[in-house]
Amino acid sequence: MSENMYIAWSTDESIFERAENGGAVTSILTYALKTKKVDGVVTLQAVNGNRYSGVPVLVTDPKELIGTAGSLHCSSSNIPRFVKEYLGGGASMKLAVVGKPCDIRGIIELQKREQVNIDNLTLIGLNCTGTISPAIAKEMFAKEFKVNPDDVIREDFDDNKMIITLKDGTTKSKSLKTLEEKGYGRRENCRRCEFNIPTYADIACGKWGAEDKKGSFIQTCSDKGKALVEGARQKDFIKVEKPDKASIQLRKNKDEAAIKLAKKWSEITLAPIRKLDLAERQEYWMSEFSKCIKCYGCRDACPICYCSNCILDADRGYIECGIIPPNALFPITRLAHVGDSCIGCGQCEDACPMEIPLARLFAVLHSELSEVFDYTPGIDVEERPPLASAMDSEMLIDDIFLDIASIKAREK
Amino acid sequence: MIEYKPTICPYCSCGCGLFLVIDDGKIIGQEPWYEHPINEGTNCPKGRNAYHFLYSKDRLTTPLIRKGGKLVESTWDEALDLIASKLKGVEPSEFGLLASGKNTNEDAYVLQKFTRTVMKTNNVEYCGRLCHSSTAAGLGPTVGSGVMPISQFDLEKVDCFFLAGINIHETFPMMTKRIIRAKKKGAKVIVLDPRKTLTVKEIGDIHLQLKPGTDISVVNALMKIILEEGIENKEFIETRTTGIGELKKHLATMELEELVKVSGVPLDSLRKAAHLFANAETGSVLYNQGFNQHIMGSSNIKALATLALITGQYGKPGSGLSPTRGQINGEGTGDMGCLNVFYPGFKKVGTGAVKKFEELWGVENLPDTPGLPYTKIVQSTKYLWIVGTNPMMAAPDVSNVQKALQDKEFLVVQDIFSNATTELADVVLPAATWVEREGIHAYVDRRVQKINKLIDPPGEAKPDWWVVVQVAERMGHKDKFDFSAPAEILEEIRRVVPPYKGITYDRLEKNIGGIQWPCPTEEHPGTATFFIEKFNTPDGMGHLQVIESQQSAELPDKEYPYILSSGRSIFHYHTGSMTRRTPKLEAEIDEAFCQVNPEDATREQIQKGDKIILTTRRGSIETEVRVTNQVPKGMLFVPFHFSEASVNRLTNPVLDPTCAMPEYKVCAVKMEVVK
Repeated sequence: MSENMYIAWSTDESIFERAENGGAVTSILTYALKTKKVDGVVTLQAVNGNRYSGVPVLVTDPKELIGTAGSLHCSSSNIPRFVKEYLGGGASMKLAVVGKPCDIRGIIELQKREQVNIDNLTLIGLNCTGTISPAIAKEMFAKEFKVNPDDVIREDFDDNKMIITLKDGTTKSKSLKTLEEKGYGRRENCRRCEFNIPTYADIACGKWGAEDKKGSFIQTCSDKGKALVEGARQKDFIKVEKPDKASIQLRKNKDEAAIKLAKKWSEITLAPIRKLDLAERQEYWMSEFSKCIKCYGCRDACPICYCSNCILDADRGYIECGIIPPNALFPITRLAHVGDSCIGCGQCEDACPMEIPLARLFAVLHSELSEVFDYTPGIDVEERPPLASAMDSEMLIDDIFLDIASIKAREK
Repeated sequence: MIEYKPTICPYCSCGCGLFLVIDDGKIIGQEPWYEHPINEGTNCPKGRNAYHFLYSKDRLTTPLIRKGGKLVESTWDEALDLIASKLKGVEPSEFGLLASGKNTNEDAYVLQKFTRTVMKTNNVEYCGRLCHSSTAAGLGPTVGSGVMPISQFDLEKVDCFFLAGINIHETFPMMTKRIIRAKKKGAKVIVLDPRKTLTVKEIGDIHLQLKPGTDISVVNALMKIILEEGIENKEFIETRTTGIGELKKHLATMELEELVKVSGVPLDSLRKAAHLFANAETGSVLYNQGFNQHIMGSSNIKALATLALITGQYGKPGSGLSPTRGQINGEGTGDMGCLNVFYPGFKKVGTGAVKKFEELWGVENLPDTPGLPYTKIVQSTKYLWIVGTNPMMAAPDVSNVQKALQDKEFLVVQDIFSNATTELADVVLPAATWVEREGIHAYVDRRVQKINKLIDPPGEAKPDWWVVVQVAERMGHKDKFDFSAPAEILEEIRRVVPPYKGITYDRLEKNIGGIQWPCPTEEHPGTATFFIEKFNTPDGMGHLQVIESQQSAELPDKEYPYILSSGRSIFHYHTGSMTRRTPKLEAEIDEAFCQVNPEDATREQIQKGDKIILTTRRGSIETEVRVTNQVPKGMLFVPFHFSEASVNRLTNPVLDPTCAMPEYKVCAVKMEVVK
């Protein structure tokens, strides 16, 4: 089991100092760039040192990597979109792509749709238990933590607490539960997310299991990932040791606790919709959809949407042009096109100026679909999206009110 | 190298943030900027398509000079020399300059300084005259200031909104977002509008669907109900206002039944609205052109401000009357003094201001009498310099504007595209815009934010301030226009406009979301709410106004049986110069349309898609029919973004006598089906 696991630290003192958990990730990336294993690194960087405005960057100079060290919890980046939209999906360059679990899963879904060239990508996954909207974060730091948001240099979630570190080195912590019940804390989709350790990347890195050693716990999940970590070790960019059983168990426990909490949040946040009967649900969603001002923000932010000639575009004649709100076919078509593969990243809801709870819509539907199709998007490149791989028996279903149990029984 | 660079949306005045994605000096995309507090990463359709107009193939890229009747390419030197030589010796009264709500403050400042110190006239105006001049005239005597007295953020604290002549759902979606947030906490929304707009449909709780132009009767009725039922804020009236006696006496002369009859608004709706607004903890009034653009626009505003005063809905976060300026610098260009009656910082033209600015600028003989307002500058000056505004679409009664511009001795037009105004010019100058230059803007709530230069302008296009400086230098005034960068102009602005004193580029770089003026020192956080302790009137009191009903200048008759009104669509912006060059927006709507009530459509035997000709006493346009209950019977509505069917060929140029606001919103029209 521990064959593919490491606790690692940077051997570079300045990186070790600057980074949060020993700098192993930054040093592995430095190794990859310096030894030309990759042409560039895609990661998140604070704009002008402002941690509330983290943006995706392409780094090609290894010296610049140190500026990207450390995590930015108050920036919900959209790394898959950056790779797909602005870097040609890695078609013409080899890239190391650093991302949260939803970023990695988005890229895997894009690979299934042939929008990225995964052979050219090395996926560096970072553990994540959630991000905070920058506006909420700043308000929360000012009102709840009673600190100047500009003084915060680090945020962390641990043991149901939110912990912040200030410029002067002091830390402050508050109960995450209390904060989130007040509407602060993590984005709603993050609270529901059960994907904390991105083992579907080439390597999965995080602090869980390595906290007491101030290092990074790294799991290699592919041959590519193994070669990268071993290479960095052999060339002395990182030093490593094998995690002991206790470390591995600790990491597992933390993951399980986070999943348990996520399940609870799913229940809490989806219950108001689940308890509606079908007619009420329809009425609820129609009234939400009627707020739509047709900005296309949801579609454009979706890391999985990719058609360059989208059926929803005004000139396609499918949705009547020039009218707001658009016909409900607009959101429903999006739901039909990507609902089976939604990774719950919440980018659509973040981008909606009318605050339509789109992530919730997808979460409700997806929770039911994934049961029907027994499909988890974004974790296995080989696993085809259900809507692209319907089985004959499924094509024969003529009952739109699916009796899931009986279908499953028939399948068996 | 691909970079995400933060900037502010170039469209309405909310001041939303966005990231432009820039690769090798060219914008290749845009992404949400979640940290920006105004929009938190979200944008409306225009904001989501913010940059495409910059790359339209028909950008003006070289100066043009009319030779032998044709505009031909020239050099900057030739064009600037020509302008300087033509303007030398021109009588002050012969010259006029029109600035823009899209100038930076730095641009606007040098434009008015040039007009006043070099040309010695106050004939300097901007399009603010056409959208909110009635605001200054209405709010000045009432509360002492015509700016938005609150912060957009505080709209979330409001529990009753009064939306007057504003289709906010389409025109300021980011404010609608805050109204929706307030509604989630229980807020109610009253909408005063002759049309059943999307705002009414989506967020309205009470629709006061008045007959066009009868706003005063509605507001007087609301005040009468409030005072008669004793639900006014007696303490506020007592301590913070004057004139309650006269107001009561005036309202006592009216009959509610008569006001109901005139306005067409049912008494029951009026009562409900009166109670909601008077009893609200925080009542907020947002209003716009539908309320302003009448010959009695300034009176409308006085009456509405009086309603807010007697209910105590002033002087707390979120409350009071908020004019919603529609351009990124609709506020700032006025702040800088591009108005015929104001020196920078709203110092009223007169001996006091003149003395002050002669001292500050080190000049003599500044003009001490008010200049001409916008439409009069267009009509009666001989030498006209137009910067970033298109009166051939934006001013009322375009046929007359055309005659006036054709008759000019010398017409200089500075813009980013050719348009009907540049076609009449003697000199056309290509302007740099938005992220092609740097500078500050003051957005709707006095929120000053900075635009950084992120890309180069096309061809030889130059920022507006640069052009003025060049001309001033050629006319022998280099010493007063010795600016080599906008930063130097801002330094002078900070020196002469006290509310901007504490605002620096450095601070704006750090304060995401900007700083609301007044900001008197570099340590000052800016001012969110006005009038907390007193009003800006000389005695510090709110002055209750007694307002008589007035009629629109041109009402329907046998020959012209319908009322015509104009306004905006969410997908387009003003004269369309930017949005109509944006493929995704043009794909939504690519031609003008006329909203017709189903009953009128049946009577005229027309249906959706039919072509009709609209004719008023001033001109006619051809457009397409949309049958909809958004307009009431007897009213037609045409959006004003489309040059091929410009509704301002039809509108009435008659002015509100107190502020020179044209009556865009009501005139008499007939429609005929194109066979």
